[in-house]
Amino acid sequence: MTALLSVTSLHRQFGGLTAVRDLSFDVAEGEILGVIGPNGAGKTTAINLVSGVIPPTSGRVEFRGEDVTGLPPHRLVGRGIVRTFQSTTVYGDRTVRENGMRGAYLGLYPGFFATLFDTAHARRMRAEATAVVDELLDWLGLTEVAEDKAGSLPYGHQKTLGMIIALASRPRLIMLDEPVAGLGGGDADHVRDTIKRVRGRGITVIVIDHNMRFMSGLCDRVLVMHQGARLAVGTPQQVLADPAVIEAYLGKRHAALAGH
Amino acid sequence: MTDASLSPLALAPRAGGRPLAIAAAVVAVLALVPLVIADKFILSLGSTVFITAIAAASLHLIIRTGHISLGHAAFMGIGAYASVLTVMELGLPFAAGVLAAFVAPCLLALAIGPLVLRLTGKYFVLVTFLFGEIVRMVFVEWKSVTGGANGIFGIPAPAPVFNDPAAYYYLSLGAGVLLVGFIARLLASEVGRAIDAVRESERLAHCSGIPVLRLKVTIFALGCGIVGIAGALQGHFIRYVDPTSYSVVQSLNLVVVNVIGGMQTLVGPLVGTLFYLILPEMLRGYVELQRIIFGIILIIVMAFLPGGLVELGGRALQLVRRRAGS
Ligand SMILES: Nc1ncnc2c1ncn2[C@@H]1O[C@H](COP(=O)(O)OP(=O)(O)O)[C@@H](O)[C@H]1O
Ligand SMILES: [Mg+2]
Repeated sequence: MTALLSVTSLHRQFGGLTAVRDLSFDVAEGEILGVIGPNGAGKTTAINLVSGVIPPTSGRVEFRGEDVTGLPPHRLVGRGIVRTFQSTTVYGDRTVRENGMRGAYLGLYPGFFATLFDTAHARRMRAEATAVVDELLDWLGLTEVAEDKAGSLPYGHQKTLGMIIALASRPRLIMLDEPVAGLGGGDADHVRDTIKRVRGRGITVIVIDHNMRFMSGLCDRVLVMHQGARLAVGTPQQVLADPAVIEAYLGKRHAALAGH
Repeated sequence: MTDASLSPLALAPRAGGRPLAIAAAVVAVLALVPLVIADKFILSLGSTVFITAIAAASLHLIIRTGHISLGHAAFMGIGAYASVLTVMELGLPFAAGVLAAFVAPCLLALAIGPLVLRLTGKYFVLVTFLFGEIVRMVFVEWKSVTGGANGIFGIPAPAPVFNDPAAYYYLSLGAGVLLVGFIARLLASEVGRAIDAVRESERLAHCSGIPVLRLKVTIFALGCGIVGIAGALQGHFIRYVDPTSYSVVQSLNLVVVNVIGGMQTLVGPLVGTLFYLILPEMLRGYVELQRIIFGIILIIVMAFLPGGLVELGGRALQLVRRRAGS
């Protein structure tokens, strides 16, 4: 299988600190890849690099066989890569539907003059975007609150809306930065189901979290990061059995025990 | 699927319907004024209001992207000088002057925009302030072209007919309707949706596919071009241009107009303009008092009315409706 996303020797330095070092991994089309690691391991930075939010110091990102290294986020959205954020993910003062419409921007933007004169083309694209957003709201159960302010939603719904904003651009790859951080067990299960359903639509997923239990029940493969570098990659079972992972997570003594 | 006419947010012309009818009624009343009042002073004040409204609205457009420019009057001045020089030095018609008044500040904004629009908040304010000062110094120092500190006198009216204050009133009203209408249309379109998204969360907007910097530069250039036209209208109206008319003080006035009126909707700078230009006329003869009252109002607005006078109007309207309803 050829990789949808292929990351090679990615490096990012912040002053004297190397946040991501020599990171390489592939993601296959239709896969759910988990990225796991303790706080400060470089998970968010890795996503920032792939999504174009910050440029890499060195290394290469290929998407669908094309070099997309260093492209800005809006260009990458156009190519089908979106991401959500660990923190604020919605426009709090706007309605849920307007949030979705903003996510659909690329799909609905008909060009400066077309939108200015509201041409037939512009109206058609807007109708299409509205349909996409309404379908997503329905699919993820937010239709009833479509006209509510996003900021007034419970936290779990805001996380879902953040995902809808990302999905509204009709991506091929979605990257979710800690989608269950701050959620209770029930909500976390709900998000896990949602992510599986997203994959069910043929969308490839990269998901960050630091809870191995959550990840094992969700991901096809897991990438373990430690101090900016890749520690291990493989199925959840393989990774859990990896001495390097056990050592990093539980300390040397356990690693020695696991080796037996 | 939601019917587009039912969902205001799915509408491109978000300012359609009732606001449009209100705007049309206001313009109709304004168009009748010269027929009822022949007073030259009132008509001249009217022209000043329309020209200032264009300038304030064009600044509002830029403010909506999240950047408060303290150099807006400099672009207005560049437009004024460009038009005046085109007409007086090149002997071209006023229409060519207006075109130059749009293009010159627009090009300059396109040149500096990609640099300054990367700055946020106070840094942008500071740099545009410095830019305004530099432009003013160029006006003063480039004597062979700008006439130095004395400026340029004896600027002709756009056409002989516009020596009549009523005619100029209609010219500036027409320009105001066109340009403010253009801005309203732009803000109500998909571009406006993108502008609001960028201001509210630049990071999220960028990651939703909005080309943030390109959008900001485009809007900045448009706003600067439009204020250039306002400059041309002003120059050919008061018949002279000089550096002090386009100094940082004037830039600050345009910001104050926006703050007082309200920065959340386009109505804000229009209301602010009215307030800013009409209040002093009503307090004529009390120059000191004028400033104090103005200062107090500004403080009150900033402290209690983040939405400006427009918000106050909105609240009053709600109150009246509730009374009428019960
Ligand atoms: N913009 C930045 N400037 C400076 N240092 C940063 C920046 N972003 C991240 N870092 C540093 O890089 C390291 C990795 O951070 P991050 O990618 O957020 O980790 P994680 O998401 O795995 O918790 C941390 O030490 C963090 O302080
Ligand atoms: Mg993180």
